Amino acid sequence: MRAGRSFRALAGSPRLLESHHGDRHELWTEPVGDPPPVYGERWVEAGGQRLRHFEPGRSKLAAAVIRGWTGDLPAPGERWLYLGAASGTTASHVADLVGPEGRVYAIERSVRPFGRLLQLAERWPNLRPVLGDARVPGEYATLVPPVDGLYADIAQPDQLAIILVNAERLLSGDGARLLIALKTPSMGRGRSAGAHRDAAERALAERMALVPSVALEPFHRGHYMLGGRWGPSSRLPTRRASSATPPRGRRRARSAP
Amino acid sequence: MRPTLVVGNGPFLFLVRSGDRALLGPFPIDPDPRRAAVRFAAFGPVDVPTSLLAAIDAEGAERTVLGAPDAIARALAARLHRPVGAIETEGLRRAMAQLPPLETSVERRFFLALGHVRLEEALRSPEEVLITLAREEERVERSVGREARAVESFVPVPDSPLDLHLDAWARARNALENLEEALRRTLESQAKLVVPNLAAVVGARTAARLVAAAGGVGALARMPSARLQLLGSRRRPSPERGPRFGVLYRADRLAEVPIGRRGAYARSLAALAAIAVRADATTRRDVSAALVARRDRRVDELRRRRR
Repeated sequence: MRAGRSFRALAGSPRLLESHHGDRHELWTEPVGDPPPVYGERWVEAGGQRLRHFEPGRSKLAAAVIRGWTGDLPAPGERWLYLGAASGTTASHVADLVGPEGRVYAIERSVRPFGRLLQLAERWPNLRPVLGDARVPGEYATLVPPVDGLYADIAQPDQLAIILVNAERLLSGDGARLLIALKTPSMGRGRSAGAHRDAAERALAERMALVPSVALEPFHRGHYMLGGRWGPSSRLPTRRASSATPPRGRRRARSAP
Repeated sequence: MRPTLVVGNGPFLFLVRSGDRALLGPFPIDPDPRRAAVRFAAFGPVDVPTSLLAAIDAEGAERTVLGAPDAIARALAARLHRPVGAIETEGLRRAMAQLPPLETSVERRFFLALGHVRLEEALRSPEEVLITLAREEERVERSVGREARAVESFVPVPDSPLDLHLDAWARARNALENLEEALRRTLESQAKLVVPNLAAVVGARTAARLVAAAGGVGALARMPSARLQLLGSRRRPSPERGPRFGVLYRADRLAEVPIGRRGAYARSLAALAAIAVRADATTRRDVSAALVARRDRRVDELRRRRR
């Protein structure tokens, strides 16, 4: 461990830690599995504790936290449904956050990424991979018990409809959490990214209480993190000016020595 | 092994019971008893808790939830290729809620075993086999080409210590070439099986590469022909001079067209290929004769009208 780096757990998600070193702000999760790294991420040992680097460039969830996400995060002991797990980069970190007592049910439709997800699950004890299509929750509804949260990262034009169908069927009820990595590049060029986000927020606000969304620039272009709690809600969140337009070139400034 | 009862518990579990012996597994019961036995053995033996059996008996699952055992076997056989959840019923959900939770180790093994079975089934489909083969063949073809170029530029020095390795190198090259040829043969026959019309229009190997680049026959069939034309190209489209072809560069008869007219040929060929793959993905009728005739007419046309 380099001198000067100290780790501090984030409120609400004790297995997610942050470190500040100079102007470098980094996120770490406490792994539930063993090395080797899942996607080439750094592992460090700090005070007898092993930590995995949670890279904002690779994971939209990490990017959202760096960009000031104020909503709930997966917490120890919870069950989360993960739609669009691909080969498990972010899913492994969500599994870290819910800890050994929690569960992550990871749904992936593509065959080859699922193969890698399955290999990961062999050494990540709380990860439950399912090869299935999120458009057809009946394919896995009997495998997945009611969940405390839903994380979605689906590159489909109708991603919102897919998420709502799953939320209705598999969330444990009002108050359950949603984290949605909104992929506007997959939603058509008819609207700007911001317009897609606004439309998505309006559609979601009918079914849930939203927290302010964050833009994931510069880590993921055209992506936003949306989310909040399932259940009745009457108004849209007020967005903070800072999250709507991220300053340019921040990433370069941060990684400078 | 005759299935006598099927029941779910949190994750859907299938129970095979004969007399006092019971096996628990994550698989739909196979009508072929031998295959069923293999699958359950792969999952590993699980001691079915007596409390579970008692709960099932108490619930009267056979009668109230799922009907007679024979009906279950028939329903499962009919749905063997359907996802496990397809036999979900409200009554079954209620029965599941009353059963004791599974041990973590069993539950985990269940997901891993089911994942392997579903993955294997998916990879075994002719379409996925074609995609895997196309990727392998392309990679091996590239290494054959690399080795061939290395041979061309290699300057042998008589009586040098390098001599020792030249034989081994030649053998490795030979093996690689044989592998490439074998892969290509399998690939071409598989392509003619999966996308017969497309294979006739652009050639079997190119057809396979198109399917692999699109990620599936369905995905390729939904593409506009302009996108199919550029599939696999590495250059970026630009207003001045964008790419004319990607995977289609290796299509049948493209080499016969004058260089300046190849873009035009690729455009026409992509239009025909789009029609061909849509027939392959939907009606599966043989439309290749008409398309090949149009393709050949176009080749002749472009060869006459030189620019």
